[in-house]
Amino acid sequence: MSLFVFRNSTLEPFFESGAIFSGYGDISGISEADAYVWFYLLPFETGGRKMQEILNDYRARLQLVQSRIPAHHPLYVFTIHPLFLLRWENSDFSTMQAVEEFNQFLAEWAKADTAVKLFDFREFILHYPQTMWVDWKYYFLSGMQLNPRLARDFREWFAQKAGAVLLRAKKCLVLDLDNTLWGGIVGEDGPQGIRIGGDYPGNAFAMFQESIRELGRKGVILAVCSKNNENDVREVWKNNPSMILRKEDLAACRINWENKADNIRSMAQELNIGLDSMVFVDDNPSERELVKQMLPMVEVPDFPTQPYLLPAFFERLLEQYFQAYALTGEDLQKTVQYRANAERTAFRSGFADMREYIASLQIRMQITEADMYTIPRAAQLTRKTNQFNLTTRRYSEQDIIRFREQGGHVFCLKVEDRFGDYGITGIAITLKNDLHTAVIDSFLMSCRILGKGMEQAFLKYVLNALKQEGFEQVQASYIPAAKNSQAENFYEQAGFKITAQSDSQKKYCLSLAEVKLDMDI
Amino acid sequence: MRQQIKDILSLTLRSEIADDCSQRNCHNWDSLNHLNIVIALEETFDISFEPEEIAEMTDIDTIEFFILKKRQA
Repeated sequence: MSLFVFRNSTLEPFFESGAIFSGYGDISGISEADAYVWFYLLPFETGGRKMQEILNDYRARLQLVQSRIPAHHPLYVFTIHPLFLLRWENSDFSTMQAVEEFNQFLAEWAKADTAVKLFDFREFILHYPQTMWVDWKYYFLSGMQLNPRLARDFREWFAQKAGAVLLRAKKCLVLDLDNTLWGGIVGEDGPQGIRIGGDYPGNAFAMFQESIRELGRKGVILAVCSKNNENDVREVWKNNPSMILRKEDLAACRINWENKADNIRSMAQELNIGLDSMVFVDDNPSERELVKQMLPMVEVPDFPTQPYLLPAFFERLLEQYFQAYALTGEDLQKTVQYRANAERTAFRSGFADMREYIASLQIRMQITEADMYTIPRAAQLTRKTNQFNLTTRRYSEQDIIRFREQGGHVFCLKVEDRFGDYGITGIAITLKNDLHTAVIDSFLMSCRILGKGMEQAFLKYVLNALKQEGFEQVQASYIPAAKNSQAENFYEQAGFKITAQSDSQKKYCLSLAEVKLDMDI
Repeated sequence: MRQQIKDILSLTLRSEIADDCSQRNCHNWDSLNHLNIVIALEETFDISFEPEEIAEMTDIDTIEFFILKKRQA
């Protein structure tokens, strides 16, 4: 299953190696994938910015993402939990409150859209002591906010969660009776002698029955398959007031001495459901084994040996097989309410489209030629940038200096927006071929600023500069590399003409006479 | 130990690892995989590298050198 991950921090180790990642905080570029993931972490703030504002921004982005991913593809969303929080005043709960509200919003929003699956990140992270959440060394080296030592556990946790969604919840729970729904054997202990309700172990079985009844009310089909005299069981239902599960709660019953595999098969037919949507619960290991052997598509979980373990057993049963079973008629009704609420309250900060969103970011670009302060950063960017890098040529500081001495230019793009200063995040290197022709040797932008429409603006600036210098035409090329396919058609989009094309390179040319000298950025 | 290092490299970079393998001559060895390599080394050898060391660990010899150094310390 291929994944596309929207993220705002370094997350690569936390997903399987085939996953595709957005730029940092970028929601504009979306690749084809089987499923989409939204996993934003709160920035590590030392003060100043309001978490509320950041979280409102996440809401708006999430809404845009939801509207832009292909229909019928799942969107896995994680709740937020602050990994690092400076609390300047003892009594300041504002961040936690904002986070709480945001998670609440996610929960309601996820219920209103069946494609959205919400995973509670807190469930994962709270398994670990707080000191393990962040490894500051990796944060400062690579922008990794989550400790990479948690990566393997996280991948497993996520695989299990996502798997549960894909597997589709089961529809039917088939239950044994003796020592499963009550303690003891009705044929020996009698309808009043079985342990249900009252003291241990009856109270444990009572709680188990209550949980199962609730499961039935949520829309799971309940059935019984047991080896008993039918009259004994009828007697229990009739005369044992402690029984919680009643005959009316059951959609099908097989109380006989036939083999259980045959019974389950005939119930599947009667209920008109697939065997692969059934779960069989029985305390007797040999019965479980028989069903596993004869009906491998039926799920057969192990049953606890002690009645006091039943609540934990039920919890697992629910998580593994029935949790995603959400949309019964009643739930559909709820969904309508949730949707109305969500629309009223949630998206006051929503944006109509991408353009409006970008405008709201208040982006400021500043383009300068590399100087002694910025040359190290320029060289570093040529070596580190993979995704939006047209030629992927790696250069040293000396190389950069040499280009400038030979009449070329090294343009540095500095970007700021409402949320902060990204520093130098784009480089364009141009060389002088002859009096009339300039060559764009390198053009690259860091993935953390991609998708805000700046790529074309930066190129436009470069072309203008070259035109003003007196060049008549510009040559450029795209060299495919492992990760730069998203830049493949960049020059075509800018109006360049292809002059040569092979598997290893595309060459372009553009006449500068056609370039207008406006700076509409 | 050298073999262990090569195993980690080969697993992370998903390619055959020659003795002179380095960030310069192996195109899968980008900055992200560099980090993955360091994470795996730290876990395998139960050590922690300093950022300055991480920046230098771009070939097998240097990696081996820093691990030995950590072990002696």
